[in-house]
Amino acid sequence: MRPDDRGLGVFALTVLAGFAVLASTAMLVADAAVARARALIDTERIEALEERARTDTEAAAELEAERERQTETSLRRETNNRRLGWVLLVSAALFLTGGKWLVGRRGDASPGRGSRRTPDLVAIRKKGARREPLQEPSVPPAEPELDLAFVDDLVARLGRGQEAAIPLFQAIQGHYRYLPDAALRRLCELTEITLAQAAGTSSFYARFRRTPVGEHVVRLCHGTACHVAGVTHVDEELRRHLRVPPGADTDPQRRFTLEPVACLGCCSLAPVMMVGEETAGHLTPATAGERLTATVSRLPPFGGTPVLRLPPFGGTA
Amino acid sequence: MRRAIHVSLVVALLLAFGLSAAAQDPADYQRPVDVAPTDEVIGEGYVTPEVQRPRSLAPWRQVLDMALLGGALLLAAWIVLKRRSRRLAFALTVVCLAYFGFYREGCICPIGSIQNVAVALADPNHAVPYFVIGIFMLPLLAALFFGRVFCGGVCALGAIQELVLLKPIQVPPRLDRALGSLKWLYLVAAVALAVLPAAGRDFIICRFDPFVGFFRFTGPVHMMLIGGAFLLLGLFVGRPYCRYLCPYGALLSLTSRLSWRGVSITPDRELDCGLCNKACPYGAIEEMRAVRTSCLACARCYESCPVHLSCRGADAEAAS
Amino acid sequence: MSRLTRREMLGHAARGAALVGMGGVTAYLTVKAHDTYAWEIDPNKCINSQLGALGVEICDACATDCVLPLSAVRAVNHYPECGRCYICPAYFEIKSAVGPDGLPSEKLCPRDAIERKAIGWIDPDDPANNFYEYVIDESLCNGCGRCVMACKEPAGLGSIRLEVRHDVCLDCNRCSISTACPEDAYERREPAA
Repeated sequence: MRPDDRGLGVFALTVLAGFAVLASTAMLVADAAVARARALIDTERIEALEERARTDTEAAAELEAERERQTETSLRRETNNRRLGWVLLVSAALFLTGGKWLVGRRGDASPGRGSRRTPDLVAIRKKGARREPLQEPSVPPAEPELDLAFVDDLVARLGRGQEAAIPLFQAIQGHYRYLPDAALRRLCELTEITLAQAAGTSSFYARFRRTPVGEHVVRLCHGTACHVAGVTHVDEELRRHLRVPPGADTDPQRRFTLEPVACLGCCSLAPVMMVGEETAGHLTPATAGERLTATVSRLPPFGGTPVLRLPPFGGTA
Repeated sequence: MRRAIHVSLVVALLLAFGLSAAAQDPADYQRPVDVAPTDEVIGEGYVTPEVQRPRSLAPWRQVLDMALLGGALLLAAWIVLKRRSRRLAFALTVVCLAYFGFYREGCICPIGSIQNVAVALADPNHAVPYFVIGIFMLPLLAALFFGRVFCGGVCALGAIQELVLLKPIQVPPRLDRALGSLKWLYLVAAVALAVLPAAGRDFIICRFDPFVGFFRFTGPVHMMLIGGAFLLLGLFVGRPYCRYLCPYGALLSLTSRLSWRGVSITPDRELDCGLCNKACPYGAIEEMRAVRTSCLACARCYESCPVHLSCRGADAEAAS
Repeated sequence: MSRLTRREMLGHAARGAALVGMGGVTAYLTVKAHDTYAWEIDPNKCINSQLGALGVEICDACATDCVLPLSAVRAVNHYPECGRCYICPAYFEIKSAVGPDGLPSEKLCPRDAIERKAIGWIDPDDPANNFYEYVIDESLCNGCGRCVMACKEPAGLGSIRLEVRHDVCLDCNRCSISTACPEDAYERREPAA
């Protein structure tokens, strides 16, 4: 049986059961109304017959017959109503079972308004795909060929001494947005700085990064107020939303980098994040993804090469 | 002609015996005896038969019902908190609706027992049987330890609404909260009317019980209408009676506030995708957490969980 | 065993307090409690059996108002008080025409639930001194109360009364007969043994 045929069959059954429910309810209501109207007539008839029976022996038999008839009718009504009640119960059960099945199926075919935010999660609800990993299997964009001529120029301008290490690193990070290994290696070849010193210095300061940074840096506040307001849940939701692998801070497509910061100075908005100069507060796990998309859409478009939006120095996290 | 002779003969006979039993006017009727004859008077070894005494309530049945109620509560707690299976919870709901609802005709009813207990507490001359104390206290006790498992799996009034729920819509939280306070008003009104002196006493919870008429297949018109309206509404709004009117629900939300365990979403790892929030037809999940006072322990949130097998319990683990 | 956090401690304390409170209520109620507690009809209040209530309409609320299809109320004949009359006013419709056998032609019970059995040998010459046993069939009687009214003093000896069958009665909180009862004859109490 094709799934469509089955859907049609269930639909037909549900509609039938629905009609049965309506019909039996209508019959019960009609019966109750008729019985109510007839009760008066019946009582009157009995009273009239009783009156006559006082004087007329013939009427006594009639009275008895009438009583018999009324008892018979009421007993028949009771049996019928009980039967109808069972029909109602069974058809209601059928209607509900079919209805739930149909509603559930429609829900699977087109996820509701609220589910659009997390289509990946809805997709993996379906059987068989349950254990699929959250990450997309697509390969990250290849590392662009670095133009190391910039390093050469820089060394010529800032000098070759060890004391120039920090300005050199700052300039390199300003140019590439992080400290590429190739650039550091080239720097060590040209200057007095050793590889070990470069590694030590670049990893000591939190503001230097050794891994590629995403297009947008999302600074998520982990200060006291935000922590209490549940920023850890928001953080986890953002990581899932952006598909940031565990242990990393940037998604494989390098669209976003999540940066935990100590305090953004607007605790009244906790939990809060900043993307570029845009601030978004009162985040919840349910809304964080939407808010991020909205915030990014408010950012001014990049002109030409990506600009480092991190200050070269300052508040290390 | 012959008949007339016959009748006149009989009448004459009766008159001869000084009887007026066949008189047309009941005022003329004289009872033939003034004292009930004893066995000796009747003679011939006659023995007065036993009077058909009303058979008493079968005590074993009450004990059985109480045991079933307690057992169902424990089972519901196990299914919802330990096994975390919507399917089993659903099965328990159906069984409890069939037994407590249709078979016992809605009369294992802690909701109604509020009034009896209130009367027994307020009126020094009034008491309730042990059985009623039991059915009043057991679900409250269960709520103190496991949350409102009574509502989720055992209550017949809840079960009928649980089963008719076709396509739940989310009630706006503010409206939900406002309507939810109605049950407190209803509780206060019910207790106030129940503790009145016996003559003015009124058990409104039972008078306006929406579903007992369905369980009995008969009932006053107003009850049937109220019940039908609640069921129609219940197709789209999850359990309207339980959430907005049930006075026992108000008491249960009090004790479940202190509950030792409760429905917990993703106990092992946080997912926070919000699907359980949307799956909850009762608006009982706020900020990704089940609110103990309003969670009706239906286990729908577990079923909605997309990736978390740990959330869905052992049977999902086994099935995949 | 891990140490208790403050939150857990408070939780345990609150639960303990609630348990103590509930236990107190339960204990108080248990001390007062009865084994059983059921609806009973007070025959001195029921208009059908109340002495002196003569010439009043028969009240059939017990038959019509019970939530059960066949009312939980039945008429019961208390045999030791029964006169075992030749013409029982509860069995016969004494207003009806007298039949050829000298007995009223109609029965009072609309459901024909009363059986009239002769006791021992019947003396055809002395019908008034024969005794008859009147047995009410539980499965037919719906508690309409006609026989109760008819058997009442002074016409009868008042041996028939309406009683609640506790094995059938659902013991509704809001017994629908009790709310319909014009004389407030229904009350919940420990049933007489």
